[in-house]
Amino acid sequence: MGPKLYKNVIDDVINEVRELFLDEGVDEQVLLELKTLWENKLLQSKAVEGFHTDEQKALQAAQQQQQQVQQVQQVQQVTQPAQSQQVILPPQQQQAPQQQVIVQESKLIHMGGTGMSAAATAATLALPTAVTQYQQLLTSQGQILQLVRGPNGAQYIIQPQQQILLQQQMQPGGVQAPVIQQVLAPLPGGLSQQAGVIIQPQQIVLTPGNKVQGNTQVMQAAAMAPQPSQAATAQVQQVQQAPGATAPQASAQPQAQQQQQAQPQGQQPPMMLQVDGTGETSSEEDEDEEEYDEDDDEEKDKDGAEDGQVEEEPLNSGDDVSDEEDQELFETDNVVVCQYDKIHRSKNKWKFHLKDGIMNLNGRDYVFSKAIGDAEW
Amino acid sequence: MAYQLYRNTTLGNSLQESLDELIQTQQITPQLALQVLLQFDKAINTALANRVRNRVNFRGSLNTYRFCDNVWTFVLNDVEFREVTELVKVDKVKIVACDGKSDSSCSAADVLLCFCASALFFF
Repeated sequence: MGPKLYKNVIDDVINEVRELFLDEGVDEQVLLELKTLWENKLLQSKAVEGFHTDEQKALQAAQQQQQQVQQVQQVQQVTQPAQSQQVILPPQQQQAPQQQVIVQESKLIHMGGTGMSAAATAATLALPTAVTQYQQLLTSQGQILQLVRGPNGAQYIIQPQQQILLQQQMQPGGVQAPVIQQVLAPLPGGLSQQAGVIIQPQQIVLTPGNKVQGNTQVMQAAAMAPQPSQAATAQVQQVQQAPGATAPQASAQPQAQQQQQAQPQGQQPPMMLQVDGTGETSSEEDEDEEEYDEDDDEEKDKDGAEDGQVEEEPLNSGDDVSDEEDQELFETDNVVVCQYDKIHRSKNKWKFHLKDGIMNLNGRDYVFSKAIGDAEW
Repeated sequence: MAYQLYRNTTLGNSLQESLDELIQTQQITPQLALQVLLQFDKAINTALANRVRNRVNFRGSLNTYRFCDNVWTFVLNDVEFREVTELVKVDKVKIVACDGKSDSSCSAADVLLCFCASALFFF
């Protein structure tokens, strides 16, 4: 009941303010962004159960409308990039077109050339509206390539930390798909003979061994996993990738292939990308290690400090008022916001008659139309 | 004028945060954000009044009470909230309640004042 109620409220509010937005001359995109932000925060708070799936469905539905690509192979998962939320992959997705991008990459898919995270990339994309959808494309090797879809339908492939095997074959005729809007550098030109990655707005079609499908403009990954030996390496470049980067990449491809082939197994499990923040992807592995180290260091420092102040600690601890260990797991303030019908007191016995309330208890949200309570003071 | 007291809920706070972000990026004006919040007030009040139909009982010990500007604020300890389906126990809960009888509007400011005044260590 909870999630539906909230969803209804959100929809009502959004619909009501749509006019307001238009009156002020604010774009519909901003309204959608508001909705997205709002829903994401609710998701994050985990205050409402079941909200998640509703949103997933909404996403899927929205995705259907946008995409026209036929389904090739499965493994397309869409999630909304929540802020600092990991991308969740719902297992079922038959409605939304599914795509597999097999990327065999030599150099990285440069995210701005510095291995910026998807978030940073998106941010630098200067998309006024947030990236609304993530798609994770499973490569043939089981690696996940994330496909970011901007609100305007443009899609960018964001490379996760690891290298993705992308194998694509250009059409014999060397069909070149149009450059991705805004950012992706036209790879085909710089790529080796066989490689061509063309990401067309809205569509990435991967068909193992297929020719160009309905979308002639879309490049297709020819060989899937079984052909690591292919010379074709397509590199998907991300946002803001300087076109010049393709050249060096192209030349490095032959080497890269070998490198890559050696790598597939050793790669880490796909990591989720952050939409927000400035985390760096290419060095994310290092960062993680660093973070761990830092944490260890911090702990050591604390221990050291405590050791040095053993005598003082008992003194200070006496000043502590609350014992945090006794508190609930969640650090939420359990709050009830409501209206009162009647508050009654008799000596020290209080009776509460409340109505229309929203409660947040132990981190979760509850609602009631009536609440009756007793307490002794 | 609908009660603004629901702005300090998960739903309301997430809306306010989202609006703040949009203001930061200058995608909307503060004026527009305010309009949205007012709309939210209406929507949530209506939804609670019309779409919710459940009862809850609770029992605990009263720690503090305050009645200020027609807003009751209670802090209860060791409370059990009982609904038909489930039982929730909390060590401490704060209840903020506006007058449900009259048409007086319970502004967010009033509620916040009572929130802040009651326990500083909450914030």
